[in-house]
Amino acid sequence: MSTLVGTTPAVAVRRVNRHRIGRLVADVFTYLGLAVTLVFFLGPFAWILTTSLKGNNDFFAFPPVWIPSDPSLAHYVGLFTRASGLRYFLNSLTISSMSMVAALLVSLPTAYAIARWRFGGSVFGTFLLVLRMLPAIALIIPVYLMYKTLGLTNSYLGLVILYTVVYIPFAVWLLVGFLRDFPVEIEEAAMIDGCSRLGSLVRVVVPIIAPGMAVVALFSFIATWNEFLFAVVLTGIETKTMMVLVTTYTSGGTDMFYGEASASVVLGVLPAFAVAFMLQRYLVKGLALGGTKG
Amino acid sequence: MRQLRFLAVLLVLIAVVAAGVMPGQAPAQGAKPYEGTTIRAVVNAEYVKYSLSLVEKDLYDKLGIKLDVEVIPLDAFVPKTLLEFNSGSSPWDLIMFGPSNMPDYGRHFEPLEAWTQKLKLDFQLDDIADVYKKLMLRHNGKLVSMPYDGDVHMLFWNKVAYERPDNKKKFKDKYKYDLQPPKTWKQWDDASEFFHGWGWDGTDNKLFGAGASYKPSGSGYSYHWWRSRFFSYGGQYFDADMKPLINTAPALRALEEMVRTMPYYPPGVLLFESEEPKTMLVKGEIPLLYSWTSTGKRVGDARESVIVGKAGFGLVPGAEIDGKIIHRPAITPGRAMAVSKYSKKIEPTMKVLEFISLPDQSLKIVMDPKTIMDPWRVTHFRSEKFRKAFPGAPEYLDAIEKSFPLVVPDPVIPGADEYQRKLSFEITEALAKRKPAKEALDSAAREWDKITDRRGRDKQKAAWGEKMAEMKAIGIEYHPDWAAKAK
Amino acid sequence: MRVPAIALKRRQWEPFAFASPALVLIALVIVFPLIYSFYLSLRDFDLSVGSDSTFIGARNYGEALLRDERFIASVWNTVVLIAPSLVCELLAGLGIALLLNRVTHGRPIITALLAIPAMVSPVMAGMAWRMMFGVKYGAINNLGRQFGLLDVYFDWFSSPFMSVVSVVLVEVWQNTPFMMLVLLAGLQSIPQELYESARVDGASPRQSFWHITLPLLKFTMVVGVMIRMIDLTKLFGLIFVLTFGGPGGATETVAFNTYLVGFKDFRMSYAAALSYVIVGGVLILTLLFQFVQRWREARAA
Repeated sequence: MSTLVGTTPAVAVRRVNRHRIGRLVADVFTYLGLAVTLVFFLGPFAWILTTSLKGNNDFFAFPPVWIPSDPSLAHYVGLFTRASGLRYFLNSLTISSMSMVAALLVSLPTAYAIARWRFGGSVFGTFLLVLRMLPAIALIIPVYLMYKTLGLTNSYLGLVILYTVVYIPFAVWLLVGFLRDFPVEIEEAAMIDGCSRLGSLVRVVVPIIAPGMAVVALFSFIATWNEFLFAVVLTGIETKTMMVLVTTYTSGGTDMFYGEASASVVLGVLPAFAVAFMLQRYLVKGLALGGTKG
Repeated sequence: MRQLRFLAVLLVLIAVVAAGVMPGQAPAQGAKPYEGTTIRAVVNAEYVKYSLSLVEKDLYDKLGIKLDVEVIPLDAFVPKTLLEFNSGSSPWDLIMFGPSNMPDYGRHFEPLEAWTQKLKLDFQLDDIADVYKKLMLRHNGKLVSMPYDGDVHMLFWNKVAYERPDNKKKFKDKYKYDLQPPKTWKQWDDASEFFHGWGWDGTDNKLFGAGASYKPSGSGYSYHWWRSRFFSYGGQYFDADMKPLINTAPALRALEEMVRTMPYYPPGVLLFESEEPKTMLVKGEIPLLYSWTSTGKRVGDARESVIVGKAGFGLVPGAEIDGKIIHRPAITPGRAMAVSKYSKKIEPTMKVLEFISLPDQSLKIVMDPKTIMDPWRVTHFRSEKFRKAFPGAPEYLDAIEKSFPLVVPDPVIPGADEYQRKLSFEITEALAKRKPAKEALDSAAREWDKITDRRGRDKQKAAWGEKMAEMKAIGIEYHPDWAAKAK
Repeated sequence: MRVPAIALKRRQWEPFAFASPALVLIALVIVFPLIYSFYLSLRDFDLSVGSDSTFIGARNYGEALLRDERFIASVWNTVVLIAPSLVCELLAGLGIALLLNRVTHGRPIITALLAIPAMVSPVMAGMAWRMMFGVKYGAINNLGRQFGLLDVYFDWFSSPFMSVVSVVLVEVWQNTPFMMLVLLAGLQSIPQELYESARVDGASPRQSFWHITLPLLKFTMVVGVMIRMIDLTKLFGLIFVLTFGGPGGATETVAFNTYLVGFKDFRMSYAAALSYVIVGGVLILTLLFQFVQRWREARAA
C-alpha cells in the first residue's frame, strides 16, 4: 500500500483495482496450475486403482472407462490366491517391520553417542554421503557371494541384516537431529537420581523422542518396502517381496494379466499413501538423505 | 504424533505375528500314496504356473501330492537356476527348463531310467514325436527329462487378407505374381510391404504389414526370427574350428532384409516378446506372422480371436536356391521337465513327472490356449478332441508335423543361452538403427569368441563338433554361395 | 564441577559401547564386502565357468574403460537419461514450488499428496506407467485417441529416442516432488522483507523473481540438483520394469549393464570392477560439480 502514498484518490483506486485484478488472475492461475499438477502426479494412481477393479469389458473398452461399470475385487482375489500374492505381501510386511525395528535398536545408541559425546566427529556425515553415492549393485555382488556361502540367501534374516545395516547411517543422522534438540538437563537430573547412562536413555529420552523414533521407523519401513535389487537377487519363493512379485508381470503380462498386475501395484504403493501425511514435516530431510529409496 | 507411535507399534506387532505364523502347515494324514507331500517346482512364466494348475487337482486326487510352483521371470530364469545348481543345491524338486540349455543343466538332473524300473513308471516314450525325442530327453545319452511344451515356428496368415479379390488384384498389378501365402522370404517381404498402412480387411483402419518379435530378452526373440532367414540362406553357427559364422554373407543378407522391412511392422516391434504379435494377429491387425505353434490355439479361441476359421497354417518361408525352396523353421524347442538330483523328494517328484506327462493330462495342458504350451506327443496330434477343438485345427496340427523334418535347432552347446542373448542383442541394435548391420554382426561374432574363450575353446570345439555333425545329418550345413544366389 | 577419575574412565568406553552394534554391523556388511569386492575385481572369477579364479591385476579395469563397447555405450545412455531429467525436474520443481508458495490454505495437504510419487518404489512407478503407456489399452493412448491427439497406434517405446523420452517422463514424474519440496523449503526461508522493500522501490514481480528469489535460491538448487544427479547415476529398478534396457540397448544404464554382467553372465569379478568404475565416475562427477560451482561463485564475487 505504500505505493499509494502521494497520489490522488482516483489514481489510488485504479491502482488498487489493478492490484486486485492482478492478484485475482495470479490466484486463478495458481490454483489452476496446482490442480493440473495434482492431476498429473496423482492421476496414474487413480487409473491403476480403477484398472484393478475393472472387468474385461471395461479394460478393453474405448473411450477409456474411468469408473468401472461393475467393480469387483476378483483381481485381488486372483493375485492373493493363484499368484501367491498374500504370501509375498506378508513377506514384505515382515521383512520391512523387522528391519525397521532392528535399525532403530542399533541406531539409537549410536545416535546417542554422536549427539552426547560427539563420537566420531563428522565421520558419520561423510559416511552417509559416501553411502548415498554407492550404487546398490556395488554392494550386492560381494554380499550375494558371501550370503551364498553362509546359506543366507532366501532367508528373512539375510535380507533384514542387509537392510538394517544399509539404513543405519540415515537413521542415525535423523536421530542425532532429534537428540540434539533434547535438553540435556532432564537426563542429567535422571542420572543424579541414580540412573545409568543407558537407563536414562531408555527411561527418559526414548519416551520423549518417541515421535522422532516413529518417524525414523516409518521412513525405514518405506525404504525397505520399496527396495528392489537386493530383493530380486536374494529372495526365493518363501521370501519374495511385493516388489519382486511385480516383475512376474513385466514379461508380456500387462495385457493378459492386467488385473493382477494393477492390483499388485496398488498394494505396493499402499505404504507410501499411508505414511505420506504423517511424515509431511520430515519429507524434505527424509527424501534428501535417501530415506525412502533402499 | 500419537498416530505415528501407534502405527509404528502396530507394524512391530504385525512383524512378530507374521514371523510366527509364516513357517509351515502340518501335513494331513490320509490314504493316498504320497499324502501330505509338497513338491516344489520352478517355472519361467505365469502361463506355465497356470498350466500346472490345470492338472493339480487330478494330481492330488490320485497321489495326494501338492504342487508349490515358483515363477522366476523369463530374463532371470536361466541365470538364477543355474547359479543355484552350480553351487550344488537347489530349493526345487521339479525343474522346468529350455532343452537348448541341456549342456548346462543336464548334469544336475536325476536320470530317469533307474527310477523307471524301481517305481514301474511309464513315460510312454514311443508316443513322443521324433523331433522332440531327439532334442528334449537326453544328456550324455542318459534319459533325464520329459517334454512339456513342444515349440516350432510356423506360418500363420489371415485368410481375409489373402482371399479378398480386391487385394488380389492390387497385389498382382503391383508385384506381377499371384497373391498367395508366402513361400519365400522375398514373397514375405513383398507381402509385408503391400499390406502395410491400409485396411486390407475391407475397413478404413490403418493396419500393418506383418508381425514379429524383436526384443532380445529371454533367450533373444530377434535371434529366433533371424535364424530362419539365416539358415535358409546357407548359414551355420560356427565352422569346424569354432569360428563364428554369424557375420558372413548369409547372416548379413538376412539381417539387412529385416532392417529394410522394419517400416512394415507395428511400431513397438522392437520390444515385442512372444505374445504381442500373436494378439495382433488374432485381432486382425496383421495379416502375416511366423511364430510359435501356440499362436494357433489363440487363433482358434473365440473368446479373443476375430479370425476363428479365417486363418491359414503353413510352413515358415524359405529361400529359393537353384529352383528348390529351402525352409528352415526354428525349433526353440519348447520346455521340458526334469527332476533335480539335489532334491530330497526324488521319488514323489518322479511320480509327478510321470503324471503330468501322461497323454491325457498333457493333452489338457497343450489344448488350453491360455497355457501357450504346445503338442509334443503323437497322440496329441492325432487326438480327435484336439482336431475338433476349433475350425482349422486339423490343418494346424498337420502343418506342425510337416515342419518337423526341416527344423533348425539352437546351438546346443555349453553357454547356449549366452551365445543366443548376445547375438540377439546385436541384431536388435541393428534393427533399432543404432548400428549398421555389418557392425552389429561383427560385434556379435567378437562376443561369441569371448564366450568360447571363457568356456574353454577346446571343450567348446568338441561339443560343437558333435552338434555340427548332427545338423549335417539332417542336411544343414554352411553354404557361403547361397546368399548371393537365393531368390 | 570436578568429575571423579572413575567416572571419567567409564565415560571413555561408553560411546564405543553404545555405537558398537552399529559399527560391527557396518564393518561386516558394508566395509568387508566392499573390500572383498575390490579383491574380486582384481581376479577373473566367473561363476558360469567354475569356482576357481586367478589374479589378473587391473585387466578388468582396462577392459571396462577401453574395450567394452557395451559398457561405454551404457555410460553414454546414463548421461542421456540424466541430463534432460535434471533440467525438467529443476524447472518443473521450481514452477510448482512457486505456485505452492503462494497458497496458504491446504498447503500441508497438497504437499503431502504431491510427495507421494517420490515415496513409491521406482519399480511401482515403472509398472504403473508401463501399463499407462500400453499401446492399445493404456490410459495415455486411449485418452490421446479420444481427444484426437494421437494416432491409432502410437508406441511410446517404438524407437530408442521415444524410449528415452518415456523413461525421462517417468523419472521426472517420480522425482519432481522431491525437487519441489527442497525448493519450497528454500523459498520459505527467504525473508519477506526483501520482497516488501523491493515493491516499495517499484520492482515488478518478475524483477524481484530474477534478482531476489533466484540468487537466494541458488544454493538450494545446487544441493537439490547434486543429490538428484547422484541418485540418477544409480538408475536401475525403473529400467528393469519399463524397458529392460531396450529397445536393443538404448536405455541400458551403467547400473543395469553391471547387473546383466554379474547376474546374467555370472562374470562376478568383471561386474565388481564395473561397479568400482561407476563409483569412481560418480565421485569424479560430484567433485567436478562442486569444483564448477565454487569456480562460478568465485567468479561472481
